[in-house]
Amino acid sequence: MTSGGTAFVYVTVRVLAALAIGAAIGWFAGNVWLGVSGAFALYLAWNLWQLRELGFWLQHRSVADPPNAAGLWGDVVAQVVRLHRRKRFHKERLTRLFRELRRSTAAMPDGVVMLDPQGEIVWFNRKAAELLDLSRRADLGLRIDNLVRNPDFVRYLHGGQYSLPVVVRLDTPVERFVAFQVISYGEDQRLLMLRDVTREVRLEQMRKDFVANASHELRSPLTVVAGYLETFSSDPGLGELMAPIAEMRRQTDRMTRIIEDLLELSRFEANDGPIRGLPIDVAGMAALLRKDVLARTAHPRQVEVAIESGDALIGDEAMVQSAFSNLVDNAAKYTPAEGSVFIRWWTDDDGGHYSVRDTGPGIPEEHIPRLTERFYRVDPGRSRETGGSGLGLAIVKHALHRHGGRLQIESIEGRGSTFTCHFPPDRVLYRPAAASA
Amino acid sequence: METADLSHHISRRFNEDLERVRTKVLTMGGMVEQQLANAVTALIEGDSNLGVSVARDDFQVNGMEVSIDEECQKILATRAPAASDLRVIIAIIKTITDLERIGDEGEKIGYIASRLATMERPADKYREIKHLGRIVSEMVHQALDAFARMDAEAALRVARQDRVVDEEYESIQRQCITFMMEDPRSIRRALDVMWIVRALERIGDHAKNICEYVIYMVHGKDVRHTKLDDVERELRDRATGG
Repeated sequence: MTSGGTAFVYVTVRVLAALAIGAAIGWFAGNVWLGVSGAFALYLAWNLWQLRELGFWLQHRSVADPPNAAGLWGDVVAQVVRLHRRKRFHKERLTRLFRELRRSTAAMPDGVVMLDPQGEIVWFNRKAAELLDLSRRADLGLRIDNLVRNPDFVRYLHGGQYSLPVVVRLDTPVERFVAFQVISYGEDQRLLMLRDVTREVRLEQMRKDFVANASHELRSPLTVVAGYLETFSSDPGLGELMAPIAEMRRQTDRMTRIIEDLLELSRFEANDGPIRGLPIDVAGMAALLRKDVLARTAHPRQVEVAIESGDALIGDEAMVQSAFSNLVDNAAKYTPAEGSVFIRWWTDDDGGHYSVRDTGPGIPEEHIPRLTERFYRVDPGRSRETGGSGLGLAIVKHALHRHGGRLQIESIEGRGSTFTCHFPPDRVLYRPAAASA
Repeated sequence: METADLSHHISRRFNEDLERVRTKVLTMGGMVEQQLANAVTALIEGDSNLGVSVARDDFQVNGMEVSIDEECQKILATRAPAASDLRVIIAIIKTITDLERIGDEGEKIGYIASRLATMERPADKYREIKHLGRIVSEMVHQALDAFARMDAEAALRVARQDRVVDEEYESIQRQCITFMMEDPRSIRRALDVMWIVRALERIGDHAKNICEYVIYMVHGKDVRHTKLDDVERELRDRATGG
């Protein structure tokens, strides 16, 4: 401001001096006013010329040098040059920052796609382009579900449940498995993260295949061994070998059961999609299970079935049968002869529920979360003795999972346990209200 | 050059309606693609359950066709679209017919695959069919991509693929005839295989049709029953001529 102030004083003095000189020349020539107006006119012309220079420079400032102006005009030019320089500096910094940002996201091992509220693509990185076969020029502004049309993905995108990623098989440009995860942010904006999980899926598949194949291969030699043992056990001439042979028979039986359970489990795992299935008569199934338990040599005194609803369950009958019978089996096994087992089926707005309650020894709380793990034993000695395979609850859990249901385990030590299968409402075939009333 | 610009519309509602129908077509396309992939997988891996589920799920695709058809009728009746919008609607109506037919062919493949799963599989494990299935699936995928991107050039490229499919079809047919002559007991299976290959070849034709609708939608030029080279020349002339 001070430099502007001095410049202003300087300019004023200069203008006054010019006017004085004009007046003096006019006085010599005989007309003072003519001299003054001449001086004004010259000054005005000079100003206009400076203005024109300035205008020209502002228009072509990227190529032309700033005009070499004097006085106030020079100040204005210097000011503009400074502003211009600062702006260019900021712009360069921002550009640099943006470029760095873009380079770093491009180098990310995962794909990223930014979506606007309508699901249109705003931006994506190189990995996403590679995984989804997107092209940078053409695909901005297109809806993501128009380009990635896999039904599972479309359902996930519109479903709004983003807590878990969805794994989808893409066939083009090459066959691979991609895990999609949507992350919501800002106002209705979404970030789509993609990860190539082909290796993981293949490994998982190999593991499943291995278990299935190994179990299958073990079955045939075992059948031969079991067959001979059976023949021996009915031969009275073997004398003192009878006891070991009986024990061997028990063990081969157990091994057969384990292998059968493993095969069953791998069959349930074979594909992961939900199953549609048919209506299942839960009441009939429960009655049969009760009969099975009562037919055993050692069984709890009381096995009760309470069917509180006539609604049917929709699912795969073999799977549900396997899950329910495993639960009833467990309950019968762990309940002493004077105890009782209750089977209950009821439905409400939350879906269908099947529970098996026993008055057995109960399960210590710290074991409950791990019960459904394969081969997990609460009391190793005891469960071997009862002849379980250690896979029962894993089968139950898997069968329920395939039906969209879950297993709830409650237990009080010394009082007994309750295992409840919860099925979602879309798995229940509700009977019309009029019929049930 | 006139392009089908969907983003600038006087009536925003109309624009949204059009976009929604277009998205629905592509959703239907996604279902069809999945069905096709599953049908071929069912055959290759001898998975009869998968084959049955493909045959059973075709009703969903049919349902989509009916519902999209209705929406198109509604748009035609209430908005009376003109120029490029009209072309989009017409292209959609035609595209869903072809998609539905692809679904039907997929159903057929699924059904036959579930039957073949019970028979002994040939030594080559249907390698040729796998290859053909891959080409055809890719064609359908890229045709739908071209539809989504309104990309006439890509559509033309895909349409050219149809010749490869026809050649593969011929070659598998010859192979089947050889099998049948060598061993008459294989005739039944060879005939089933022929049905599947024929279905795949038809799917290739439907994909080509979709590509032609894309070109029509973008350029307003009906290129059915025209040689592809002529189409390409014509499109190039339009692009340079303005």
